[in-house]
Amino acid sequence: MSGQRVDAKVVMLGKESVGKTSLVERFVHHRFLVGPYQNTIGAAFVARQVQVGDKVVTLGIWDTAGSERYEAMSRIYYRGAKAAIVCFDLTDSSSFLRVKFWVKELQNCEEHCKIYLCGTKNDLVESDRSMRQVDYHDVQDFADEIKAQLFETSSKNGCNVDKLFEKVAEDINNTAFQHITEEQGVDLGQKKNAYFYSCCNH
Amino acid sequence: MSQKSERRGIHVDQSELLCKKGCGYYGNAAWQGLCSKCWREEYQRARQKQIQEDWALAEKLQREEEAAYASSQGAQSQPSLTPFSKFEEKKTNEKTRKVTTVKKFFSPSSRTAPKKAPCEKVEKVSGARERHGEALLRDLRGMFTQPWEMMSPTEESHEGKTPSPSISRQSSIETDRVSRDFVDFLKNLQKPGREIHKQCRAFIENMANKKDLGADELSECVQDFYQNMSDRLMTHFKGSTERVERVMDQVEKYIMTRLYKNVFCPETTDDEKKDLATQHRIRALHWVTIEMLCVPVDEEIPEVSDNVVKAITDVIEMDSKRVPRDKLACITRCSKHIFNAIKITKNEPASADDFLPTLIYIVLKANPPRLQSNIQYITRFCNPSRLMTGEDGYYFTNLCCAVAFIEKLDAQSLNLSAEDFERYMSGQASPRKQEPELWPQAGPGGGGGSSPGLTQVYQSLDLLTGLEARQERVLEGARGLESDLISWQESVEREVQEILEKYPLEIRTPASAIDSDNVENDRLPPPLQPQVFVG
Repeated sequence: MSGQRVDAKVVMLGKESVGKTSLVERFVHHRFLVGPYQNTIGAAFVARQVQVGDKVVTLGIWDTAGSERYEAMSRIYYRGAKAAIVCFDLTDSSSFLRVKFWVKELQNCEEHCKIYLCGTKNDLVESDRSMRQVDYHDVQDFADEIKAQLFETSSKNGCNVDKLFEKVAEDINNTAFQHITEEQGVDLGQKKNAYFYSCCNH
Repeated sequence: MSQKSERRGIHVDQSELLCKKGCGYYGNAAWQGLCSKCWREEYQRARQKQIQEDWALAEKLQREEEAAYASSQGAQSQPSLTPFSKFEEKKTNEKTRKVTTVKKFFSPSSRTAPKKAPCEKVEKVSGARERHGEALLRDLRGMFTQPWEMMSPTEESHEGKTPSPSISRQSSIETDRVSRDFVDFLKNLQKPGREIHKQCRAFIENMANKKDLGADELSECVQDFYQNMSDRLMTHFKGSTERVERVMDQVEKYIMTRLYKNVFCPETTDDEKKDLATQHRIRALHWVTIEMLCVPVDEEIPEVSDNVVKAITDVIEMDSKRVPRDKLACITRCSKHIFNAIKITKNEPASADDFLPTLIYIVLKANPPRLQSNIQYITRFCNPSRLMTGEDGYYFTNLCCAVAFIEKLDAQSLNLSAEDFERYMSGQASPRKQEPELWPQAGPGGGGGSSPGLTQVYQSLDLLTGLEARQERVLEGARGLESDLISWQESVEREVQEILEKYPLEIRTPASAIDSDNVENDRLPPPLQPQVFVG
């Protein structure tokens, strides 16, 4: 089954100006944009294919509005998402408090959605230790508690960005396979190609 | 199939069975002896020709009528209206309506009373004007066609808001066209195509018997059908997702065009009530400004406001589409315009933080008809994979979000104090300063103050009055010019008369020949000859 695709929805959550859009920009276009830039009209939705072994996973990445006034609506966004990348700014402790809110929401409403924590603006912290406002160990403990993976990325120099999305794609690919085996257990007799149910139905 | 008519024949020559065009494939008596491909080409050509002829006829009639109007004294029947109504193409239909609207403005008799209120108003205005106008000046009419055409009030509304009398006929034509396209499409698939068609038909008949089911059950039926169909196709195409998707798009188009009437905003649900509630809500929120929503769009820039207008048009247009996918396409187009507007304003690509507020603003400005029904319809009957993953799904989700936000919107979400919010909502105050007292009588008592629609109507009326005054002036000028011309003509005539009297015409007998008069010529010296001087 080589070359077949899986469509998966990945939502980006996080407070305003933590750098969700920059993260996506870096992943999709391998660039960090400062000031006016012209080529893309919008970075709110992007689709990007990631090679995982012999398969291609298509990630549909959904940017969300981080402002608190839209908090009540965030549930509409992550409905049916396979993965959620919850971002926070390493230099802004308040942004990490908001992470906890989204994690709780996700755990309550979307239990099949895998959570990834992502501390952004790592380059600032690297260059000046005193900038760090969110303790690494606190975050790691929290991540362990909710069984989430933790990444510290920099959209400016690209550190860890590809790793994060590759991990997301890999996990999605694995769960897709689990689905196949489960479904084949149910209706093995009728349908030869149950692989696609997993992408069309879920 | 091809032997059907020839079966009783004793001997059928191979060549008789072949396509008459000589393409080498077998023909069919039902297709006048052509093969399927040649027949389709032939048929298409004939149809195209027919359409073009109809167009030509329409234009001819229109020209004739305009000419008749310009020369005649007006009040005549409108002969071109009947042939116009025959037209199939939606475009033609729209054009026709535009033309008749324009005519209505100038029709001196208001016998053909228009249904819509703004139209009636215009009619009155034009009627009054007409009385002033004189037969001689009627020629001036041609000059005014352009501006009137541009501000035809039905222009926007016949996009789907107001049910027009021809809508039922139009929809059945559309259904036919979609069915035909579907059959054409399936022909390429040969045997499975026939199978798909049979199943779709059976399903539609089946659904016709289930009218009294709840909306959710109907949705389930359709979704099950999609599921079964795509499963089958998947086995048939050996897992080529793209081909399956292509067929499924056509299946969705066919089925939903057929079922639309029964399943859009069904009576079993309270969709309609929700539509009205949302509409009222948006109307009550007419005072919300760009600043309150933190919309990163500067409408002062012409290019930006152009995009904003296009976005509004697209989101309104959604209601006129029948297939869920087409509705989604409208939302996507609207979103693209929004992105453009943001990009031009901010000079950088928009993120979701910019996009969502702008979409909310657009929805507030557009107040799209039957918004809730449309959202429900898409959610219930769209192919689920599209809603979950693709770009369309993202924009649709944002629209749902925008609507949810508008419903829940309170003082806090606009960064206002509770008192201010209350005052704005009750219409006691308006945050906008630039347009107060312009139409003090505009606000309907109590309620939500003057709605943006009403203000617009008043603005249009204002514009109309202005135009009327201007036209009055032009008519005045023309009349002046006319009397000037007449007096000038008279004065010229008088002068000529005077001169004629002063110098009465004397007719002398004409001279016989020019040279015979010049008898003296012989006495003149000979002409000078050039002389050569030497030295």
